[in-house]
Amino acid sequence: MIVTKNAAELCVLLIGELYGQLPSRLFAVLLAKGRSTIKHLAQNTSMGPRMVRHGLVVLTQQNLIYHYTDPDTSITHFEANSEAAYNIVRHGKILNIIHRNYGEDSARLVHQVLNLGHVKISDLAKQYKTARQEPGTANGAANGISSDTADNDSDYEGEALDMVAQLIAVGILEPVNARTFQSPEDVRAGIEKDIMESYPSGVRGAKQKADFFQKSAEAWKEYQDESRELKRQLEGHYLFGPGAKRRKLANGSKTNGFKATNTHMLDEEKREVAVRVNYDKCLVELRNHRLTRYVADEIGEVTAQVYEAALSALAKNVNICQASEKSNEDTFVTRSVTTMEIFENLRPGLDVSSGIGKAPPTKINAKSAERIQANQPGHDAEGEGEDMSEDDDDDDDDDDIEMSNGVQSNGVHETETKITSGHNGSRETKVKFEENVPVAPTKADRLQQMRQHLLLLAESNRRFIRHCGMRDQGEWTVDFDSLMRTLKYSEIDTLIEQTFGKPGLRLTRILRAKGKLDDKTLPALALMKKADVHVKMVEMELAGFLEVQEVPRDNNRTASRTLFLWFFEEEKLLTRVTDNTYKSMVRHLQRLEVERRRKKNVLAVVERKDVQGMEEEKLRGDVYNEYREFLDIESKLLGQVDRLDDLVSVFQNY
Amino acid sequence: MDDQTSILKDQLYSACEQKLDPDGEGEKAYDRLFSQDDLFSLDVVPPKDLKTLMKLISMLTNDYLFIPVNTNNGPAWRLRPEIEAAKYSSLSVNQRMIYSLIDNAGADGVWNQQLRLRTNMEENLVKKVLKELEGKRLISSFTHVENAARKMWIKSSIKPSLKATGGAWFTDGDLDESLIGMISEVVYTLVKKHGAYFSDGSRSKARDGSISPVLPKKVIKGSTSDAALAARGKKRTADDMEVDGAPEVPVSPSKARKAKSGPVLLPMPAGYKGYITVPELTAQIARSNVTKGTKLKESDIKQLLDVLVYDGRIEYVKVGKREGYRASRISKQDPTFNVSLDTVDTDEPRHNGLTTAPCGRCPVFDLCEEGGPVWAGGCEYFDRWLI
Repeated sequence: MIVTKNAAELCVLLIGELYGQLPSRLFAVLLAKGRSTIKHLAQNTSMGPRMVRHGLVVLTQQNLIYHYTDPDTSITHFEANSEAAYNIVRHGKILNIIHRNYGEDSARLVHQVLNLGHVKISDLAKQYKTARQEPGTANGAANGISSDTADNDSDYEGEALDMVAQLIAVGILEPVNARTFQSPEDVRAGIEKDIMESYPSGVRGAKQKADFFQKSAEAWKEYQDESRELKRQLEGHYLFGPGAKRRKLANGSKTNGFKATNTHMLDEEKREVAVRVNYDKCLVELRNHRLTRYVADEIGEVTAQVYEAALSALAKNVNICQASEKSNEDTFVTRSVTTMEIFENLRPGLDVSSGIGKAPPTKINAKSAERIQANQPGHDAEGEGEDMSEDDDDDDDDDDIEMSNGVQSNGVHETETKITSGHNGSRETKVKFEENVPVAPTKADRLQQMRQHLLLLAESNRRFIRHCGMRDQGEWTVDFDSLMRTLKYSEIDTLIEQTFGKPGLRLTRILRAKGKLDDKTLPALALMKKADVHVKMVEMELAGFLEVQEVPRDNNRTASRTLFLWFFEEEKLLTRVTDNTYKSMVRHLQRLEVERRRKKNVLAVVERKDVQGMEEEKLRGDVYNEYREFLDIESKLLGQVDRLDDLVSVFQNY
Repeated sequence: MDDQTSILKDQLYSACEQKLDPDGEGEKAYDRLFSQDDLFSLDVVPPKDLKTLMKLISMLTNDYLFIPVNTNNGPAWRLRPEIEAAKYSSLSVNQRMIYSLIDNAGADGVWNQQLRLRTNMEENLVKKVLKELEGKRLISSFTHVENAARKMWIKSSIKPSLKATGGAWFTDGDLDESLIGMISEVVYTLVKKHGAYFSDGSRSKARDGSISPVLPKKVIKGSTSDAALAARGKKRTADDMEVDGAPEVPVSPSKARKAKSGPVLLPMPAGYKGYITVPELTAQIARSNVTKGTKLKESDIKQLLDVLVYDGRIEYVKVGKREGYRASRISKQDPTFNVSLDTVDTDEPRHNGLTTAPCGRCPVFDLCEEGGPVWAGGCEYFDRWLI
């Protein structure tokens, strides 16, 4: 995350919203001044060191700052963690997605962790129990873990422990250690310093250098594995073990996700580990959700649900959205999943037979639909082309199709559909669709129908999914990199279309497809009048969506002897739009503050202890209406902030 | 000029003409070049009789029946049809100079200025000659798409080239936007019709039922904690969240058919071979005769399709070796056909955070600053948006 002025402002506002003015002021100074000691902070904020310490405690508890104590001088430096601060805006979404994927109780648990920043597992379990026992009061209490001594009701605690174990196994929660609170740079420096000690005379020569780099890379990997160790231990049991399947089925359909009490997975020692929310994994889940929405928009709702199943099957192996320094190589390899695995993730209530039109089998080119793309397009473009031409040759010979689609969509009176599975055609099932007879689709039918959705996804230009193998009725994978690129483009396109209309969209898309173009070619390609094109282009250039380059044809450099080349610079535009989005979010939050000030009197009354919770009864009619008005405005503003965050996520994080 | 040479001359010309049209189909390829060897091989002139050949050629050139051309392999000659040649003979010297330049420029035409430079004539004289030629209906003027201000001249017997007129989408040098708009609509409707499955909505209830809409919970009896949570905007109570995964009660087909919720368009299954292709579209449009005489070629239609693709209305799809087109975001498209592209947006417009908020389209966004002339608190766009 590049911390621009707007991004910094946003982080400070968010911290102010959630944790109050003291931490937000400190954070602002940390962002502005960089790494600081308590002394510096006190100086820059004109506050006493005592106050500064108070603020720093809150920030540290929430993991919003890094700190590092120099072992030689024992001076502690603090540094802002802007990513974490920005993630505050996503709390609601994260809880939502966890509720959706892992059940209500898990969401409650994660909510606690989010409130507390990081917390020991045993404390968390106790807290959870208290919350369950008296749901009214404990929910809002963020600070102070009320130690309940009533041990008789250990069911809740066991349940909590089990859920925590599961969430760690999935990767939503991660254990913290001392180094979690150091910035990655400090950790790296520390590692390198340790290694340097084995070279008393310094690193000399190419061989030693290579040796040094290898050692530091190993140590870095070790450091990363450290936090994953617990996950690894647990995931054997929860994700791939015997209990996994039962749980998986329970996940989506039952709100009370995992109610098995095998707490032995977390023994006493492990319960002393502190955990926090792993935003990287949460982003993966959020990304899946976003992609599902994208498919719903591009193709249709049912297909989107199938896609969601495929993504959640894949997500088991994906811990982070973008390969970066933070991740090491092996965690980022997206593996493929088989049709069966996707099928297991499919929601049981989903009617997979709908959502796709029906076509007579003679109109289906099964070979093309079932085409296998073993490699990512672009990596092996040549090979792919050859594959396709081979396919084509085959098509000429046999136009009769051996596979009919198993999709019978709308009110088919009596249709017999022959389903043979793909190429091998070994299995044949006869399905009879009859009117008025509620057909209970067999598993095989459902599987075939689901496959149709997957094939449709694979056929799309957006490359939602790639059919990459034949094993187990087909293997599938998603090339997130290229897919996220198209999603970014689609968001930019939306923006351009809404701002400059269809002509603007047309022109930018031409430029994206063709590269740099001059004034003459562009109107011809766009089938637009030259003058119209010019006006539009200048308009977009002024708004920063396009760039123009002047190429003089001779030394005179007069306008008439100059070529003007228009082009579309993606990186620059993305940074710009992202920053605008930050700014927009800042403005929304500022506006909210203004609205609060405007309704100060009403809010002061609502804040009163005797009014809280029963505003409708206690407040006077007009005051209550005003309060409602304020709530409307508030939800509108915050909802919009959430939508803006969707954009930021697409542009920066997914 | 004796009779014999005159006969030989005619023989040579007709032999050449014969060569131009060996199959006797009536279409003569006048741009074919004849070298000296070619002329000898016609068996009109005795072999090696260079003197006679030269004489014949110079006579034919003087009669404007031969046009001398310099090629890399020495001199060569092109034939001019007799009717054309007759035109030349009736012209004065000046007229002939100008006319030959215009003639040679062919379908691309020549610019006034160019004529003056090439002939080294006075501007007035050029004008006069052009007027005379126009009077004889030998030449006519037209405007070039790339340079509307220049007056271009062309032989009146031929039409300006595509490069000069801009192709089928131009009328009199102007882009015919209404024609483009109309054909676009036709093309788009055809693409949509052929690439989607029309469902009358009988099953769509079951389809819609599979997702429950997210209804925002109204804070009527909201507790303070509710309000406070909402204030932070991140936490909502569990009731707000999508209740998902509740097993669907299967709707029996007959019941579902009664509950119609409007027709929808559905995507075709993967590998569908019916997506319309460029030749098919061209044929259909030609058959429907919407262009009233002007014939649209495949390349014209392709150009239009490209534009529609750039507009994001349709997308290219390749099934096997069949390269077709289908409408994009099919389930979001208006299921009724024959809608005008200009008047209504045919699909649900997309939105994102920046397009719905006032900030995303704020004209003074760059000026917006706390303490500046524009700021969030005093923003009139927000005022309007929040009402």
